[in-house]
Amino acid sequence: MITGTGAEPVIQLFHVHKRYGSQTAINDINLTVTKNDFVFITGPSGAGKTTLLRLLFLQEAVSEGQILVNGINLQRIRRAKIPLFRRSMGFVFQDFRLINSYTVYENIALVLETTGQDIRHIRKKVPHVLRMVGLEDRIHAYPPRLSGGEQQRVAIARAAVSNPFILLADELTGNLDTDAADMVFGLLRQLHSRGTTIIVATHDSRLFDKARARIVFLNQGRLEGETKS
Amino acid sequence: MNLTKLSSIFQRVRRNISTSPYLHLAATATIAFSLLVIGVFAMLYVNISALIHSWQQDVRVVAYLKDELSEEWVESLRQSFAKLNGVEEVTYVSKDEAMARLRRQMKHRLSLLEGLRENPLPASFELQLVHGAQTPENLDLLASQLRGFPEVEDLGYGETWFNRFSGFIGFFRLASLIIGGLVIAITVFVCANTIRLTLYAKREEVEIMRLVGATDAFIKTPFYVQNLIEGLLGGLVALVLLFGSFKFLIARIQTPDALLSSCDIRFISFTWCAALLAAGMFVGWFGSYLSLKSFLRS
Repeated sequence: MITGTGAEPVIQLFHVHKRYGSQTAINDINLTVTKNDFVFITGPSGAGKTTLLRLLFLQEAVSEGQILVNGINLQRIRRAKIPLFRRSMGFVFQDFRLINSYTVYENIALVLETTGQDIRHIRKKVPHVLRMVGLEDRIHAYPPRLSGGEQQRVAIARAAVSNPFILLADELTGNLDTDAADMVFGLLRQLHSRGTTIIVATHDSRLFDKARARIVFLNQGRLEGETKS
Repeated sequence: MNLTKLSSIFQRVRRNISTSPYLHLAATATIAFSLLVIGVFAMLYVNISALIHSWQQDVRVVAYLKDELSEEWVESLRQSFAKLNGVEEVTYVSKDEAMARLRRQMKHRLSLLEGLRENPLPASFELQLVHGAQTPENLDLLASQLRGFPEVEDLGYGETWFNRFSGFIGFFRLASLIIGGLVIAITVFVCANTIRLTLYAKREEVEIMRLVGATDAFIKTPFYVQNLIEGLLGGLVALVLLFGSFKFLIARIQTPDALLSSCDIRFISFTWCAALLAAGMFVGWFGSYLSLKSFLRS
């Protein structure tokens, strides 16, 4: 089992398998991520990186094994509790998953609205997080009017706005040029410095020197090793 | 519910409607049309019931007496009849008075009565039942009691006519319920499918909401609110159309020379109006409930 350096585990995977019919996407993975870890999950296409993140976010159910997040067994979580669980995490999706008919403000505010936060707090918090990602001037724009990099920054702002204790990001910089990628990683480092545990799935090894992180290698669904950047 | 939730709900309602206005217009029009049909039935029901009720008020049992009863005997019978259960008023009609009535009714054909050597009409008692007790059962009961008096030769209370109308009212009630139920069911089906179309168009948005931690209630509430509003609007449109049609018809049929000029045609009561609005809202809500239930499970 590969474990982090911190004392307090926030994510634990025990012999996790994920199969789609006869195809195995995740094969017997054991992994522990401790509080405030910065983890890159890397590997070639089809290695199981996205599947692993989807399992952690309860978008998929494990076929075998067990996943604990903050001590919660994800296999035993009731359907009605899934929204509450997801609110405690942030997820930056590979395809951003922004609502095109909502403005940038509304996309981000939605996360806070689901938790029933006060409207005055939302009106302060959303511009604040947009300033962090450098998009305060795009607050009333609709996602289709934004560039790929801008959409990704909105997606990060949305994932970060509720101060999640874990942030998952899938192929974070796939659409970004070097400057935008630096900015995005600056944001992640900022969140990490505030205590957020960050897990980034990427196949791009050029990102590893952008943060001091654990690098976990996946290949054909298997965990093949770990190193540090 | 706090201000944020309310604001969020109404923003999403506004967005839902503005993204597919024709779909929502169709749903509102369907509800309005269905409630209009139900409203027409309600008006027919209310007016026919009122008409039959007023006829029922006039229903009286006539006990025709044998000839040659003394005045004391007649008075004793009056007292006995007045004590019968459910009787409010007893009126004696003597043979002479009966003939006088007949003459008045046949004033244009008096020659038919001229050949009579003696008055063939019997004296009678007219028994008026207490208000609200003019049911076929009570009339039958009173008739059977009157038949027990040997002085009573015959009875008349239009039992065949009365039973026929009571049967008609029962049938009309049943038909109204069945047709109203069918119309409501069809409207619920149409509303549910309208919502399903809206949901289908918004499935990605709903999926994203779930990914950012929205509960089913958070997703569903705007759809419920939106359909309640559509139901209410549909109900209001139906009432306006019904009232407009009512006024138009009244103006046409209540001219002095019209056949129905003496009929007191009434609009449905406030309770009926409130019930129609409530029915519209229920139909909207139930349509959402059905489609959301299956959509969110999938």
